[in-house]
Amino acid sequence: MDAFSALLAGFQVALTPLNLTVAFAGVALGTAIGALPGIGPINAVALLLPLCFALKLPPETALILLAGLYYGSGYGGRISSILLNIPGDPGLVMTTLDGYPLAKAGRGAAALAISGIGSFVGGTSAVILMTFLAVPLARLALSFGPADYVALMVLSFALLGTMGEGKAVKTWIAVALGLLLAMVGIDGGSGVERFTFGSLELLGGIDFTSLTIGLFAVAEILVLAEGMLSGVISRTGDGVRLTLKEVMFCVPAMLRATGIGFFLGVLPGTGASVASAMAYTAEKRVSDKGSFGKGDMRGLAAPETADNAAQTGSMVPMLALGIPGSGTTAVMLGAFLMYSITPGPLLFTQRPEVAWGLIASMYIGNLMLLVLNLPLVGLFARLLLIPAWILYPGILALSYAGVYAVSNSAFELIITTAIGILAYALRKVGIPLIPVLLAFVLARLLEDNFRRALSLSDGGYEILFSTPTSIILWALALLAIAWPLVGQLQRSRAPAPSEI
Amino acid sequence: MIDRLVGLICILLGGGAIWHAQTLHVPFAADPVGPRLFPTIIGAVLALGGCILAIRPGRVELEFGAWPRALAVLVSSLIYPLLLLPLGFILATALLCFAASLAFHARPLPAAVSAIATALVFFVLLDKLLDLPLPRGPLGI
Repeated sequence: MDAFSALLAGFQVALTPLNLTVAFAGVALGTAIGALPGIGPINAVALLLPLCFALKLPPETALILLAGLYYGSGYGGRISSILLNIPGDPGLVMTTLDGYPLAKAGRGAAALAISGIGSFVGGTSAVILMTFLAVPLARLALSFGPADYVALMVLSFALLGTMGEGKAVKTWIAVALGLLLAMVGIDGGSGVERFTFGSLELLGGIDFTSLTIGLFAVAEILVLAEGMLSGVISRTGDGVRLTLKEVMFCVPAMLRATGIGFFLGVLPGTGASVASAMAYTAEKRVSDKGSFGKGDMRGLAAPETADNAAQTGSMVPMLALGIPGSGTTAVMLGAFLMYSITPGPLLFTQRPEVAWGLIASMYIGNLMLLVLNLPLVGLFARLLLIPAWILYPGILALSYAGVYAVSNSAFELIITTAIGILAYALRKVGIPLIPVLLAFVLARLLEDNFRRALSLSDGGYEILFSTPTSIILWALALLAIAWPLVGQLQRSRAPAPSEI
Repeated sequence: MIDRLVGLICILLGGGAIWHAQTLHVPFAADPVGPRLFPTIIGAVLALGGCILAIRPGRVELEFGAWPRALAVLVSSLIYPLLLLPLGFILATALLCFAASLAFHARPLPAAVSAIATALVFFVLLDKLLDLPLPRGPLGI
C-alpha cells in the first residue's frame, strides 16, 4: 500500500464523528493548557493521559486526543511567551526573545498572528514529511535485531546527553534513575521481585501515569508555589495588524526553520527545545542586521515554526521505531504501551488504523488550530487572566483525580507525590527530568532486547556488536558521548574565557 | 559542593542497586542473563556518573523562592490521600485546594469559595459526565 491510499484510509478513521470531536477537543484544550503560564506540552499530555485511559477510549481515539494536546499546546505556548514573557516550556524560551519586545511595542496581535502562521507552516509541513518518511523508516527498522535495538536506545540516551539541557553527566544520572525506577516490580523474564522491599503495592511496578504526573505536574506546582515566575501581561494591543508583506518577509525563515525543526525532531533524544534554539541561531546568522532580540518578525517566526515542526518530527521515530524523540512523545509511547500496542516497524502493517488515523488527524488538527489561533486567539489570551490561586490548585486537584481514576487507589497518590518530591529535588540540583521519563519508558524494551540478544549468543557479549547496523549505532553513540569531552579538552587548552 | 553531595548520593544509590541485584534469588534460569545483570549495569552507570560528578563538580546555585509555600502545598498533598476515602472526593479535594490556594497568596474567603467550586466542578465533570467513579464521603455525595 503506498502512502496515498494508506493516508486515505487514515482519513476514514480520523473523519468519524467521535474522532473529529476528540481531535477538536484535543487541539482546543491543548491550546488552552499550553497558553497557561508555566504549563507546557508535557504537562498537558501528562494531565489528560490518566483520564484518557480511565475512559477506556479506543486506542486510535486516545492517541488522536493526546497528539492533539501535544501539537495544540505548541500553538498555545506562544501566547504566554509573547504576552507575559514566561515560556511554558524550554522549547519556548526563544519565542520570548523577539515576541515579548513586539508585544511591548504594541504589536502583540501581529506577533501572535505571525507565530500562529509559523506554527501552522511548521506543523503541517512536518506532517507531510512524516506521511512519506514514516513507512520507509519503519521498513528499515524491520531488519533490526535485538542487538541493533540495544544500540539504538543507547544512542538516543547519548544524544540526549550531548544535545539536551544540562550537563552530560547529569543526563546519564537521570537516565540511570529512570531505568532503576522502571526496575521496580516483578521481572517479566523470571518472576523475581526487584526493588519492591516487600511492599505489596510495588509488585506491579511504578505506574506510568503516577510517574508522569509526579514528574511534571506535582513538581511543577511546587516550583510555581515558590513564586519564582511572575510577569505582567502586555495587552494584545490594537497596533498595526499583520500585513501580507510581513508574512511574505518571514516565509524564507519559516521554510529554513521547518527543515531544521523536523530534522532535529526526528533524531531520537532531541526535542523541540534544541530545535527552536538552533532555528533561532541559524536565522540570526543568516538575516540579522541588528534587529534580532528587539522585535524582529523573523526572530519570532523561526523558533515557533521549528518548535512545531520538531514536535511532529519527534513523532516519526516514536511511531516507526518505537523510540520517542522527545519527552512528550515518551508519554505517548507510554500510552501506546498501556494499550498493549507496541509502536515500531510492525505498527503500520498490523494496526494501520492507529498509525494512519493518527497521521490523518494531524492534517485536520493543524487546520483546526489555524482557525482557533488566528481569529480566536484573544479568547485564549484571556486565560492568562485567571488568577494563580484558582488555576494551580485546580491543576493539582485534576492531577490527583486523574491518578485516582486510573488506579482506584489512594496509595498511588502517595507514590505520585513522592515522585513529585524527587522531581523537585532533581530540578533544584540541575538533573534534567525528561531523560528520567524517556529511560523509564524505554527500560522494558531495552532490558528485553538486551536479554534476548544474550540468549541468542548464550551469554556472549560479542553479539551486541555483531551486525553492521549495531556497529554503526554504537560508533555514533560513542561519538555522541565523546563530543562534550572533546569540547572540554579544547576549552581547557584555550585560555580560559571569562565566566559568564 | 552541591554537586559533590549529589555525586555521593548517586554512588550510594548505584552501589545499593548493585548490592540489591546480587541478593536476588533466581529459582530457575529462563535465559542465560537472568534478572540480575541489567540492574547491576544500571547501578554501575549511576555510581560512575556519581563519581564523575563528585570529582569534577560544576557550580550549582540552590535557589529557593518562598519555600514554605511549596512545603505547604506538599504537606497538603501528602495528607490528601489519607482523607480521600474517609471524607470523600468533594470534601477532601476542597480542603486540598483551599490549602493550595492560600499558598498561592489567596485571601481566605475567595480561597474557600474557589476551592469548593473546583471540587464540585471536577466531581460533576469526572464522576457524573465522564462516568469515572470517585470516592463518595460518609454522606454519599
